[in-house]
Amino acid sequence: MTQDSSIPAAEIVIEAHDVDKIYDTGTVRTHALRKVSLSVPRGEMLAIMGPSGCGKTTLLNCLSGLDDFDGGVVLINGTDISRMADDRKTEFRARDMGFVFQTYNLLPVLSAVENVELPLIVSGMRPKIAREKALSSLDRVHLRDQANNRPAQLSGGQRQRVTIARALVNRPAIIWADEPTGALDSATATEIMDLIVELNEAEHQTCVIVTHDPKVAARCHRTIHMADGVIERENTQAEMAAVALGGN
Amino acid sequence: MDELFGVSMTVIASVCVIITALILLAVAIVAWRNPVMFKNGLRNIPRRKSQTTLIVIGLMLSTVIITAAFGTGDTLTHSVTNEAYTIFGPVDEFVVWDVKNHPAPENQQVIPLDQAAKWEEQLKQAVSVKAVVPFLGSTMPVLDTRTRLNDAKSFVVASPAEDLDKLGGLKDIHGQAVTLGPGEIALNAALVDKLDARVGDKVQVFYHGQPTDVTVKAIVPNTMFGGTNDTVNREGAALNFDFMSGITGKHGVVDILAISNDGTTRGGLNRTDEVSAAMDKILHGTTFKTLKIKQDTVHQAQLFGNIFTTLFITIGLFAIAAGILLIFLIFVMLAAERKPEMGMARAVGAKRRQIVESFLAEGMGYDLGSAIVGLIVGVGVAALMVYFVKLSIGDNLGLNLQFSVAARSLVTAFCIGVITTFIVVFLASWRASRINIVAAIRDLPETHRTNPEDATWRGYLRGTMNGFVAFGVAIISFFAAIHFSQLAPIFILAAISGIAGPWLPMLRNSNFGAPSSDRKQGDHLPRWPWIVGILTAVIGVGIVMLVGYFLALLVVRLTRERPRHTLSVPLKLVGTLISPVGLVLSALQERGRQVAWSVGLGTTGLALGILMIQWAYDAERAWLFFTGVSLILLWAAVTLRYFRIRERLSFTVTSALLLLVWYLGGANKLTWLTGGNMKGGVELFFLSGLTMVVAGTFIVVYNADIVLPFLARFGSRFGRIMPAVKTAVAYPLTSRFRTGLTFGMIGLIMFVLSMEAALNTNISKTFATKEVLGGYNVRVQYSDNNLSSGIEKDLTTANAKLPAAERVDVSKIEAVGETRTVAGDQMTIRNPRATSQEWKHYILTGADSGFISSNQLPLAHRAAGYASDAAIWQAVASNRDFAIIPDGLTGGGGFGGPVNDPLTLPSDYVKDGFQPFQLEVRGSDGKVTDLTVIGQTKSSAANFWPGIIVSQDNLLSIFPQAQGQEFYLRLAPGVNAGRYAKNVEATLVATSADSLQKIIDDNQAISRAFLNLFEGFLALGLIVGIAALGVIAFRAVVERRQQIGMLRAIGYQRRMVMLSFLMESGFIAISGIVLGLALGLTFAWSLLSSGNVGTDTGGVSYTVPWAQVGAVTAFALIASLLMTWLPARAASKVPIAEALRYE
Repeated sequence: MTQDSSIPAAEIVIEAHDVDKIYDTGTVRTHALRKVSLSVPRGEMLAIMGPSGCGKTTLLNCLSGLDDFDGGVVLINGTDISRMADDRKTEFRARDMGFVFQTYNLLPVLSAVENVELPLIVSGMRPKIAREKALSSLDRVHLRDQANNRPAQLSGGQRQRVTIARALVNRPAIIWADEPTGALDSATATEIMDLIVELNEAEHQTCVIVTHDPKVAARCHRTIHMADGVIERENTQAEMAAVALGGN
Repeated sequence: MDELFGVSMTVIASVCVIITALILLAVAIVAWRNPVMFKNGLRNIPRRKSQTTLIVIGLMLSTVIITAAFGTGDTLTHSVTNEAYTIFGPVDEFVVWDVKNHPAPENQQVIPLDQAAKWEEQLKQAVSVKAVVPFLGSTMPVLDTRTRLNDAKSFVVASPAEDLDKLGGLKDIHGQAVTLGPGEIALNAALVDKLDARVGDKVQVFYHGQPTDVTVKAIVPNTMFGGTNDTVNREGAALNFDFMSGITGKHGVVDILAISNDGTTRGGLNRTDEVSAAMDKILHGTTFKTLKIKQDTVHQAQLFGNIFTTLFITIGLFAIAAGILLIFLIFVMLAAERKPEMGMARAVGAKRRQIVESFLAEGMGYDLGSAIVGLIVGVGVAALMVYFVKLSIGDNLGLNLQFSVAARSLVTAFCIGVITTFIVVFLASWRASRINIVAAIRDLPETHRTNPEDATWRGYLRGTMNGFVAFGVAIISFFAAIHFSQLAPIFILAAISGIAGPWLPMLRNSNFGAPSSDRKQGDHLPRWPWIVGILTAVIGVGIVMLVGYFLALLVVRLTRERPRHTLSVPLKLVGTLISPVGLVLSALQERGRQVAWSVGLGTTGLALGILMIQWAYDAERAWLFFTGVSLILLWAAVTLRYFRIRERLSFTVTSALLLLVWYLGGANKLTWLTGGNMKGGVELFFLSGLTMVVAGTFIVVYNADIVLPFLARFGSRFGRIMPAVKTAVAYPLTSRFRTGLTFGMIGLIMFVLSMEAALNTNISKTFATKEVLGGYNVRVQYSDNNLSSGIEKDLTTANAKLPAAERVDVSKIEAVGETRTVAGDQMTIRNPRATSQEWKHYILTGADSGFISSNQLPLAHRAAGYASDAAIWQAVASNRDFAIIPDGLTGGGGFGGPVNDPLTLPSDYVKDGFQPFQLEVRGSDGKVTDLTVIGQTKSSAANFWPGIIVSQDNLLSIFPQAQGQEFYLRLAPGVNAGRYAKNVEATLVATSADSLQKIIDDNQAISRAFLNLFEGFLALGLIVGIAALGVIAFRAVVERRQQIGMLRAIGYQRRMVMLSFLMESGFIAISGIVLGLALGLTFAWSLLSSGNVGTDTGGVSYTVPWAQVGAVTAFALIASLLMTWLPARAASKVPIAEALRYE
C-alpha cells in the first residue's frame, strides 16, 4: 500500500505488487492478503507487525516463496518467483535465502553443525567445505564449542542461534525471520536481536522480521503494520524506538 | 476339521463367541454410558482415510492367517470326508477275518455263506439294519491286452446281484444299472485311467499267477461296488459273483460282509457304534471282527484336516505374533497422535476411564471392520492355497479337493481376531490414558517421576516382591501345578494370592498401611505388621534356602547322571509362602510408592527360568531348557539396567550371550550342560526364531548408531542426498521401541523363511546323493497274492513267451536284493529297559542274502566291535537275532527332531561304538522275539527301508505269512532305469515297477510344493512387518511436519523429502531382512553341520538357497518401499508455510 519511492529501483531486493492470498477450506473463505504492495531495499531490516491473524506470516511466506499466492507479483532481485516451478523455487531458496523460525525447526537427530551445513549440502556443496562453512557460521553466532551437541542438549537461545547460523551459512541475500524471539525470554531475545543486527551490519543482508514485539521492531530500519491483510501504516526506526520506550 | 491342538472346535468356537459377546456388550455399555467420548473415538476413524486403510490392513492380518488356516483344514476334511461317503456309499461296516489276532493263509480268511446268513439274521434281531451284503474281494493284477498296460494291485470284488440290489445295485458312471455275466468285468474309473481301457476291451485278471480272460462290460464309479475300498489306492473292478468264485476257488464262502445301517449315506454313520457293538457281540469267540469302515475313514479325514490346520496355525504363529506386535504398534502410534486431544479432554475434566473408553471405541471400530475384511480376505487366501495345492500336487494327493469353509470356522476366526485386537487395544488404551496433561497438550515428551529407591537393593527387593505377587506366582504355580500334580492343592493357595496381586494397587490406594495420622476417621489400626513380623522371618529363610537350593541343584546337575523327578522341600516351601507373604508386604507399602515393575518381571522370569530348567532335566525337553536359559538372561539384562549399567552394554552383552546359547545348542555343543538327552520338537523352531530375533534386534537397535560416523565419513559419495541418508538412519534410532518392533517383525519372518529354505535345500541335497537309493535303481513290488520265488527266474520265464523285441534284458541286472515287510499294524516293539513298557507299532523288514550282500546303504552308527558297515550287514545275515534299526527309532535329531522316541534310549546308544542292545518284537500271535541291535541306518534310508531290518529267515520265523515282497535291482551302468522298470512291469503283470530315482523325484516335487505353500503362508507375516513400516511412515509424516516444512524452506526438493522417507523405511527393512537372514542362515548351518536335524546332513557341504532368499528379500524390500510410497509422497507434498505453522 505504502512504499518508500525514494530508494532507487536497482537497490530493491524484494518487490511485491498487489499480492492476494485467499485461504479457502471449502466452507470458509479467508482473504489473508489484499493487494499488498511492498519494496525492500538491499541491506534493510524490515519488521512486520500487527495483531494475530492480520497476515504477517502469510506475507512473509508469500514473499519468500514458501507459500503460493492467488494474485499479484513478487520479485526477488528482479526475478518473478510466482512464475517459478517448485524445484527452481526450492533451489532459489537454498541459494539466496535464509530462514529463522520461532520454533527453531532444527532436526533433533542431527548435531548443531550438521543442522547448519544442511542447506549447503542440499545445494550440492562438498561435505568437507560445507562442514568448514558451517563451523565458521557457528563461530559467527558464538557457538562453535557446541557444534557437536544435538538440539536437545542446547538452551532455547542457543538453538535459535543455531537457526541463525543455518540461515546465514550460505550467505544469503535475504533472511526471513518469523517471530525469531517469540519463544525466548527477554534477555535472550535481546541477545538474539543484537546478533541479527550485528550480522546485518557486517554482512549487509536484507532482513524481514515478523514480530509482535515493539522492541524487536525498534531494532529494524523500518516497520510496517498490518491489519486485515493490508499494510495499514509504516514507522521509521526512531518512531518505533519511541513506541518501544513508551511500552516500557 | 473338528479339533485344534487337541481341543474340540465346538468348544473353541463356543468360548470365542461368549468372549466376543462379552466384549461387544462391554463396548455397548460404554457407548450408552459415555456417548460423547464414544462418538469422539469413532469420529476419528474417517479423518485420515489412507491411514485408516493401513490400520485395517494391519489389524486384519491375524484374522486372515487364522481364517486361511481353518479354510485349508476344512477343505481337506470336507474333501476326504466326501470321498469316504462316495466310496462306501450305503456301506457302513465290514465283517472280516481278524488277521492281527488270528494269522492264517489268505485263502482261509473266509466267511461261509451259511454262517453269514445266520449272522445277518442275528444282527437284524438285535438292531435295525438296511442290508448285509456278502462280497468276495481280492487284490489281483489286471492287464489290458489292447493297451498292454497293467495294474498289479487292483482290488477286484464280486457280490451276488440280488444282494447288491438291496443297496441299489451296480451302476455305471452314467447311472445305468449293470448286470455282469460270467467272463464280464466292470472296471472302475481309476483303473480305466491307469489301463487306458474302454468298454469292450479284453483284459486279463491274475489270481495266484493264473490269468483269466474277461471283457470290459462297463465303466463304474470309484465306489466300494466297483472295487475301491480306500481313499488312496482306488483302482478296482467288479466281476460276476459265481465267476469270481470259480477263479479264486472260493465256493460257498465270501471275504467280506458289508453292513448297511438304516438311514442315509451320511445319517447312517450315527448308528455305527450301535450296529458294530451288536455285531461284535455276535462275533465274540470267532476269528472275525467288525470294521467301522466308513466311520474310521471319516475320522481319518477329520484327523487329516486337523493336522493340516494345526500345522498351518503353527506356521502362522510367527505371523500372528508379528500381527499382534503390529496391532500394538498401531495403537501406540494412534495414542501418540491423539495425545494432545486426550490431554485437552483430561484438562477439561475427562477421567482416565473415559479416555480409555474413547480410545477403545475407536479401536473397536477398526477391530470389527478389520475382522470382517480379514475374514473375507482369509477365505480368499484359503481358496488360493487350495487352488495352488490342486494345481501342483492335486493328483498325487489322490483327492478331489473341493473348497469348503465351515461356518463354525468362520465364526471362530472372526472372534479370535476381535478378541486379540480388543486385548491389545485395551492395553494400549490404558497405557495412553496415563498421560501427563501438560505434556500431552503441548505434545512434549512424557516426564516420569524419579523413584527415590531407583538403583538400590531396597527398590530391587520391592520390585521383586511386587512382581512375584502380581504375576509371578500365578504363572509359576500354573507350571508347577501341571508338572508336579501331586502338589497342585498347595500351589492353588499360592496361585490365588498371586492372582490377587494385580489388585494390590487398589489396596494401596485405600488407607491400608498408612500411618495412623493419615488414616480416615473410623479406620482401624492395621494388623498386618504382626503377620509381617512373623512371616518376614519365614520369607527370609525361604529366600536363603531358595538360593542355596538352586546352587546345589546346579552342582548336582553338572555332576550327576540321573535327573531328579521330585520337587525339593525348600522349593515347595518358598513356592507356597512367597506369594501370601509378598501380598501382605505389598499391601503395607506406602501409598503411591513407585515400584520397579521391570525388576518384578525380570525376577519372575528368573524363578520361572530356573523351574523350567529343572523341568527340562526331568522331562528331557529342550524347549524348556532353552526358554529357562533365555528367561535367566533376560533377568540379567533387566538387573544390570536397573543398577544403571549402561543399557547398551547390558542389553548387548546379554543378547549376545543368548545368541551364543542358541547357536551352541543348535550345534549340539551344550550336551555337557543338558546331559545330551533332551529332545527337541517343532516348537524349538518357533522358540529359537523368537528369542534369537529379539536378541538380534536388541543388539542392532542399541548399536546401529555406530554406523552414523561411517556414513559421515563416506558422506561425499552420497553428495546432496547425504542429509537424507543420515536422517534416514538417525530418526529410526531415536524411537527404539517402534523401530525395534518393526525390525523384529521383519527379522522374525525372514529368519523363519531363510532357515526353512536353507534346511530344506540342504536336506533335499541328501536325497540327491546315491546313498538314498542304497545302490539300486529299480524297485519291483509283487502283489500280495502273487508272491515270487525270484524275479530273475520270473523274467526269464516271461521272456520265453514274448517276441525278442519285447523281452526284458536280464543280463543288465547286476545285483538283486529282496525284502519282505510286515506293516506296523501287525507288529509292535519295545525297549525292555525303558521306563515305559508300552508296545509301540513298528515296521519289520526281512532282507534276503542278496540284499544284505549287494546293498550300499551306509550306516549312521555302528555297534562296538564292528569295523565296517559290511561287517554289520554280514553279522545280520549270519545271526538270526541281529538287527539294524533306522536312526529315527532312537529319536535322533536333537533339535526339532521327532519327540516320539519309541525306544527312549540314552544318548550313549545313539553314537558310533554303542554297546549292542536288546529290543523286543511282538508278532500278531503275541509271541515275543528278542533282537540285538548292532547298527543304525541313516535318516535317508527310511525312504525305501523305513523299518527294523533283520534277515529274511528271521522275519519269516516271526511272521510266516509275511508278504510285502519287493525286489531291488541294480542295473548295469547306462541302462535307463525308468524305461527298464516299465518294461519289467509290462512283462511281469503281477508286479508294479518303478525307477527309485523317479520315486525320489516325485516325492521331492510333492514336498517342495508343500514347502512352497508353507513359505507362501509364512510370507503373509512379512506383510505384517511391511504394514508396520507404512504405519510408522504415516506417523512420522505427522510428527515431523514442521521439520519437513523447514527442510523444504531451506532447499530440500520434494523428491529429496520423499527419498528421505523411503530410505528410512528401506533402512529398517534392510536391517530387519539382514538380521533375519544372518541369523536364519547361520543357525540352519549350525543345525545342519552338527547333524542335529538328521544324521545325513553332517557331511553335506552347506548350500545357501540364494534364489529363494533373493526372491523373498526383493519382495520384502520392494513391498516395504511401496508401502512407504504413500506417506513419503504425502510428506513431499506438505505445504511449506502450513507445515511451519503446524503444531
